[in-house]
Amino acid sequence: MKKNKSLIFWFMLPTVLSLLIIYVYPVIRTVAMSFFKVESLTASLSKWEFNGIDNYIKIFGSNSFRVSMQNMLLIWIVGGLLTLALAMLFAVILTSGIRGKKFFRAAIYMPNIISAVALATMWVQYIFNFDYGLLNNVVELLGGEKVKWLGTDMKFWAMTISYVFGSVGYYMLIYISGIEGIPADLYEAATLDGASKATQFSKVTLPLMKGILKTSITFWSINAATFFLWSKMFAPIETEESTIVPVIYLYDIVFGGKGITQRDAGAGAAVGVVLTLIIIVIYGVMNLMLKDTDLEY
Amino acid sequence: MKKIIAMLLVFVMVMGLVACGAAEPTATTQAAADTKPATSTEAAASGDKKYEGVTLTMWSMWNSTEPQGEVIAKAAEAFEAETGAHVEIVWKGRDINQVLSASLEAGEKFDIFEDDYKRIALQYVDFTYDLTEMAEAVDYNSFSYPCLNDTVIDWVGYLNSIVEQPQVGGIFYDKAAFETAGITELPTTWDEFMAACEALKTAGIAPLALDATYADFTFYHHLVHQLGEDRIEELALNGGWDQEPGVAAAAQDIIDFVNAGYLVDGAPDEFPSSQNKIGYGLAAMIVCANYVTAEVNNNTQTEVDWGMMSYPAVDDGAANSATYAGANSLAITKYSENPQAAFDFIMTLVTGEFDQMMADTAKQIPADSRNTAPALQDGTVEVLLNAESPMSWCASLQANSDLKDSIKTLCINLYDGKFATGEEFAAAMQALY
Repeated sequence: MKKNKSLIFWFMLPTVLSLLIIYVYPVIRTVAMSFFKVESLTASLSKWEFNGIDNYIKIFGSNSFRVSMQNMLLIWIVGGLLTLALAMLFAVILTSGIRGKKFFRAAIYMPNIISAVALATMWVQYIFNFDYGLLNNVVELLGGEKVKWLGTDMKFWAMTISYVFGSVGYYMLIYISGIEGIPADLYEAATLDGASKATQFSKVTLPLMKGILKTSITFWSINAATFFLWSKMFAPIETEESTIVPVIYLYDIVFGGKGITQRDAGAGAAVGVVLTLIIIVIYGVMNLMLKDTDLEY
Repeated sequence: MKKIIAMLLVFVMVMGLVACGAAEPTATTQAAADTKPATSTEAAASGDKKYEGVTLTMWSMWNSTEPQGEVIAKAAEAFEAETGAHVEIVWKGRDINQVLSASLEAGEKFDIFEDDYKRIALQYVDFTYDLTEMAEAVDYNSFSYPCLNDTVIDWVGYLNSIVEQPQVGGIFYDKAAFETAGITELPTTWDEFMAACEALKTAGIAPLALDATYADFTFYHHLVHQLGEDRIEELALNGGWDQEPGVAAAAQDIIDFVNAGYLVDGAPDEFPSSQNKIGYGLAAMIVCANYVTAEVNNNTQTEVDWGMMSYPAVDDGAANSATYAGANSLAITKYSENPQAAFDFIMTLVTGEFDQMMADTAKQIPADSRNTAPALQDGTVEVLLNAESPMSWCASLQANSDLKDSIKTLCINLYDGKFATGEEFAAAMQALY
C-alpha cells in the first residue's frame, strides 16, 4: 500500500502540537527562567532580568536547599533500599506457592488504594501520636516510656518509614509480575542441579529481572525527587527542617508561605532543573549498571 | 476524500484540545436565579436601582459550603436586591494565592478578590485599586481597626484592601481552668505569668499547650517583647545572636519555664494534638491567633469558655506592647470597570448585618468594630483596637529565607528542653551562620 506522507503529517500534527505546547514549551521556559531573575512564575518576559547562574549559586548556597537535598538523598537511599528490598522479599515469598497468596498480596497492596492524605493522617494522628498512639501503647505495654516519634530528631525517619509502608505494595506487584514471567522449568532445572532457594534467587531470579529492577529504581528515583505530599502532611502549616525536601523548598520560594511574601520563581526554576538533571543522571547510571541482557526465556 | 476526512479529524481534535484548555470552570454561585451577562459591563442605569445591569465577579478564598461562603452568598443576594448589581462568586478555596498572581498578570476579568492582607499589599499591589478616597467617603477608619489600615498604608503608601477577617494573636486561655486555679487577675508581666502557671500546675492543670508548628511563633512573642522586631531582623539576616544578651535572656526564660514543668505532656506536639488538650481540660493556655478557639472547640466538640490576654511583658523589654495582628482582606482589581459598585459590595460584607452574621457563624472577630464578637472571641476586639503597631507572624525571624527552617527547628528544640542555658541556645543560633 502506498504511503501517504501528508496524511501521516496531518494525523500527527495535533499530537505533536499538544506535546510541544503542553510539555516542551514549559520545559524550555523553565530552563530559560532558571537563568533569569523572575519574581512571579507567570511574569511577562519583559520583567525577566538575566542573571547568569546566580539562581544556581543562590540555591546551592542555601542552607534550606542543602538540607532538603540531604533529606531527599536519605529518602532515595534508605527508603529505597527498604522499599525495594521488602517488595522483593514479599514478591519472592508470594510467588513461592504459599497458601493465602491472594489475601497477602491484597493486604500488602492495600495502602496504595487508600488516599495518601488519609494514610499520612493515620500515621501522624494515630500511630505516632504521643498520648494514645499505637506505637506508644506498645512501648508502654513493654514497660517503656513514651517516645516523641514526631520530635525534631525522629520526624524525618517517622515520615520515611510511613512512606515506605505506603510504597512497598506497589513495587511488590511489579516484582511479582516479573517473577511470574520467568518460566518454571528454569527453576526445575536449577533444583535438579542442586541449587538452593537462595542460589536460585541470586542466579536465576535476579539476573532475569534486571530490566524490572532498573524500571523500579527509576520509578523510585522519580518518586524521591518529586517527594512532596508526605512532607506537607508531616509539616502541614509551616515547613520544618526535618521534613523539607527540594520540591517543598521550590514551592516555598515560588509561592511564599504563611507571613512570607518574598518569591523567587527564577530560583524555583533552577531547583526544578537540578531535580530533572538528577533523575536523568540516575537513569543513565542505571542503564550503565543494569544493562539489559539478551536473555530469552 | 481522505485528505478532507483527515482535515476534519484534525479540526475536531484541535477543537477538543481547545475545549480542554479552556479556563477551569471553578464552582460559581450566582446571587440570583436569573442569568446575567458574564462580564462586568457599563452600568445600564436603566432601572431605579443604583447599579442595575452591573455584574461584579468576586474570587473567594472560601468554598460555598463553608460558613464564610454561605454568608458571602447571602450578602451578594441582598446586595443585588438593594442595588441591582449581580455578584457572581467564584469559589477558589484556600489555595487562591497560587492562581492570583498569574490571573492578575493576565488581566483576567474579576473585580474583587480575597487573600491575606500582606500578600495583597506586597505581591498584588500593581493590580489593586487605590481605595483611599472611597474609604474616606464612608469614614472607614472609624469602624475598622486603624492598626491594620495603617500597616497597609505603611507597606503600599495607600489603602489597597479592606479587612474582612481580622486576626489577633496572644494567649488564649480556658476561663474555667483559671477559675479552678484561683487566678483572678490576668498576668501582665512574665513573673506574674510564671506565678499563674504555678497555680495552674498546683491545681492539676498543665499551664501551656504547644504544637511544634507554633513553637517559633510562641518564642517570637517573647523575643519581640525583649528585643523588638527590627533587632530580630538584623540578627536573622546578619547573625550576632550570641553577642546580643537579650537572646540568651529570652531563651533562659523559656528554659526555666520548660524546666518548671509548665508545658502540657507531649509538648511540643504534632498539630493539633497539643492545642486539643485545652478542649479535653488537660491544659489551660496556648499562644496562637484567635482562630485557635474555634479549631479547638470543633476538634474536641466542646465549648471551652475562652478568654484572651496579651503576651506578658518581660523585664527590660524593648517592645512589650507588641501584639500580633493580621487579616484576610478584600481588594478590587485595578482594571475593574465598576470599582465603586465593588467597594459598596465589600462594605455590605464587612459592616452591619452580614459582618455580624460572618462573625457569629464563622466564629471570628467582626470586621466592623461596632459589631459584637462571638463568645469564644471574647476580648479580641479590644486587644485589636488597642494595638498600635501590629507584630508580624514571625516575619523578622523568617527574614533569612535560607535559615528560617533551621531557626524554627531550634525554637522547637528550645521548648523540647534540648538547651541547658540561654547562652547555649544563642550559640546554636549563631552556629547557623
